[in-house]
Amino acid sequence: MDLAVDLSGITKRFGAFTANSGIDLAVRRGEIHAIIGENGAGKTTLMNILFGLLQPDEGTIAIGGKTMIVDSPAVAIGQGLGMVHQHFKLVPSLTVADNIFLGMEIRRNGLIDRAAQEERTRSLSEKFRLRVDPRERVAGLSVGMEQRIEILKVLARNARTIILDEPTAVLTPQESRDLFRTLRSFVDDGMTVIFISHHLEEVMAVSDTVTVLRDGRVVATKPKSALSKRELVRLMVGRDVSFDRRPRGQTNGKVALEVEDLWVRDDRQLAALKSVSLSVRAGEIVGIAGVAGNGQTELAEVLSGLRPASHGRARLHGQDILDLPPAAIRAGGLAHVPGDRMVRGVDRTASLSANMLIGRHRRAPFARAGVIDWSAVHGEMWTLIRRFDIRARGPEDPARSLSGGNIQKVVLAREFTAGGDVLLIDQPTRGVDIGAQEGIHDEIMRQRAEGRAILLISTQLDELKALADRILIMFDGRIMGAVDGAAMDEDAIGLMMAGVDPADMTEA
Amino acid sequence: MRTLLATGWARTLAGQLFAIAIALALGSVIILLIDESPVRVFVTLMRGAFGDSEKIAGTLLQTTPILICGIAACIGLRGGMFNVGIEGQLFLGGFAAAWVGFAFSLPPVLHVLAAMALAVVAGAAWVAIPAFFRVRFGTNEVVSTILANYIATLLTSYFTIFLFKRPGGWSETPPILESAYLPELFSFSRLNLGLLIGLALAIVTAAFFRWTSAGYAVTMVGSAPKFAEYGGIDVRRVGFGVLLVSGAVGGLAGGVETLGVHHRFMEGFAPGFGFDGLIAALLANGSPVGTIFTALFFGALRAGSLLLEVDTTASREIITVIQALIILAVSADLIMRRRGDRTGERRWKF
Ligand SMILES: Nc1ncnc2c1ncn2[C@@H]1O[C@H](COP(=O)(O)OP(=O)(O)OP(=O)(O)O)[C@@H](O)[C@H]1O
Ligand SMILES: [Mg+2]
Repeated sequence: MDLAVDLSGITKRFGAFTANSGIDLAVRRGEIHAIIGENGAGKTTLMNILFGLLQPDEGTIAIGGKTMIVDSPAVAIGQGLGMVHQHFKLVPSLTVADNIFLGMEIRRNGLIDRAAQEERTRSLSEKFRLRVDPRERVAGLSVGMEQRIEILKVLARNARTIILDEPTAVLTPQESRDLFRTLRSFVDDGMTVIFISHHLEEVMAVSDTVTVLRDGRVVATKPKSALSKRELVRLMVGRDVSFDRRPRGQTNGKVALEVEDLWVRDDRQLAALKSVSLSVRAGEIVGIAGVAGNGQTELAEVLSGLRPASHGRARLHGQDILDLPPAAIRAGGLAHVPGDRMVRGVDRTASLSANMLIGRHRRAPFARAGVIDWSAVHGEMWTLIRRFDIRARGPEDPARSLSGGNIQKVVLAREFTAGGDVLLIDQPTRGVDIGAQEGIHDEIMRQRAEGRAILLISTQLDELKALADRILIMFDGRIMGAVDGAAMDEDAIGLMMAGVDPADMTEA
Repeated sequence: MRTLLATGWARTLAGQLFAIAIALALGSVIILLIDESPVRVFVTLMRGAFGDSEKIAGTLLQTTPILICGIAACIGLRGGMFNVGIEGQLFLGGFAAAWVGFAFSLPPVLHVLAAMALAVVAGAAWVAIPAFFRVRFGTNEVVSTILANYIATLLTSYFTIFLFKRPGGWSETPPILESAYLPELFSFSRLNLGLLIGLALAIVTAAFFRWTSAGYAVTMVGSAPKFAEYGGIDVRRVGFGVLLVSGAVGGLAGGVETLGVHHRFMEGFAPGFGFDGLIAALLANGSPVGTIFTALFFGALRAGSLLLEVDTTASREIITVIQALIILAVSADLIMRRRGDRTGERRWKF
């Protein structure tokens, strides 16, 4: 068999913790090989080992049939490997072409030959049908675009085997479909793709072979045709998981959050929200559906005080919040789970405790007279680690030593326990495994039962279907319409997400 | 052993010692190139720095301003601010303290306190302009504080020569009154209370960052400003405050030099202490307690170099070369540690 990559007996320990334990992974040339598993199962660790970012304690790596020591990414790249990381590593102030050729600049007379780089970017972009503008600055581009650039970066280095770590976690459904079409065309050209994902539907849809990891071990490697989604779930979490609509009690709470005719500009000074009005009652979950990039992020930012509004009103418990700084809005009862967890949600270098403390670092029980009681902070963090099943060794672990999904759980744990009674949740389960997704959904329902008002932004319709009482659909900064969560009409939502006015639908 | 190496500070220490070792090795090569024996140079340096109690006191005397300037730098670094203007803040603080010292007549303790207070205010005021531009317009504080240094040295020279020059004397102010002297610690040296002020400051600063809400806020602003903003910390205000306090401590260093050592202000009054302090802080990776040791190291180099020209053919400038090599080695180490990013190492400890 012609193997693009053959790992055998890979073991990796971090101190006393074993992240990978005797893993065998054989990837055939020309296939799409999916790797799935719970948060912290060791997927990223394994890929980092293959790519030379981490050194295994035991085991061997063979690339293209040759056994070798991969002690740096340069070695991996030299063997035709390329990796698109879970969290992108682009330089925002540089152009697309500059980013693609960063570290392998095309030179002429010792200077960077920008024209040649742009030309080469253009030809790559055409060849692989990944449309980009080589001269555009990366700052302010959509995540889908950023990912395209990451992929082009890999292609520019002549990769024949491409590793993608959770490529679709941040993409819109449309962008995901485009991505998979691209990946298909890669394997048709004889390239090989390894990708990690928590979306089992897409794993079933695009992969040829699936490997399931659990607690650092391989529990199965099977051709997709021999698997069903349900089996995958079982293999991953060891039980069945359901995403049916959650049963709920009737609510008739007071209006807690009210937005009227809100207009906001994005980073490029273009209108990102256009006359948005909505209200959320205590004990109610209002979902915001929509393809990412239609103003949801700006809505969350303006409501939490991180972005100025240009016009309109927003009231939290009757109090105007548009002119208040973030701290005052928090104090007024708003908790916010940001969509961009790595930049907004955590300080990656700080400990879990320090991450939990933010916003609560001035008051009892964690601080008295300006002095922090770290033992109380650590104690609370331990409680959260247990309650939210965060896979970490302890409160003093730096956030960046956690797996992506576990970092998300840290953010959720902090915001759900911060004492706010209005929760603004942007993409709660981005990058979270399905077992944990269920747990997070349980937690959101519990918050609802406790009478919190919840504004839930999600690009996953399934998630909104399971949780939301009402769903508002956003397109191009406007709210196109609302549907009842219980009797959800997916076709209508789909049309509204694409910008069709519901008033026109009835006529058709 | 494994756990020891895994903890942040042990790793930092190992890295810094490595940086120093590399710098000394490269320094040795240069010493060999000028036909001198590295062993003799280093032994002479050690003798000059720690040979007898007077020499040790001399080393500590040099260490004091470096330490205080180092703490000023640590405060900035922790809050993500690179205060390269400590030298200028030190000059203004030194001048301000001298002025209170010679122009007013006050009771002993009060006189010292008043002079120190004005030194602190002068240092803070001097950094206030770059700080304002930084938080208001995002002007890079590295550039603006460096520029402010030139103005500070020239401005204090101007004051000294044209406004307060001691009649017939050098380019220096009149001496301060004895009531404004910082008490000396030993009869055989000018080593004074300033050293204890520096040590206390290091401890207090470390405790501030480790245990207070404000210290936590500063650290978060320094390491993840967007996260801090999201968490409700006023990033601009904290940034401004950090620079102001850093400048105030820089001014304090100048006051200590004036009241403790020179007892007057003069041109070229404290050459390079501000920069040495910054390097000491960087070498200590922004740790105030670590800065005690790195400042001592630089103080010893300075003090030891006095003997160098007497006993060897090497000139004192070799010290500057070694310092430059250390800077290079430290920056290389920082780059190495950035590579270490992926292994999940953390920067500040709580
Ligand atoms: N540098 C590190 N130091 C200590 N522990 C680490 C380090 N990197 C990863 N780990 C631990 O190893 C385990 C596996 O992490 P990994 O990132 O491989 O998970 P993952 O399968 O990619 O999860 P996710 O789906 O959440 O991204 C986690 O428990 C994590 O905390
Ligand atoms: Mg991962």
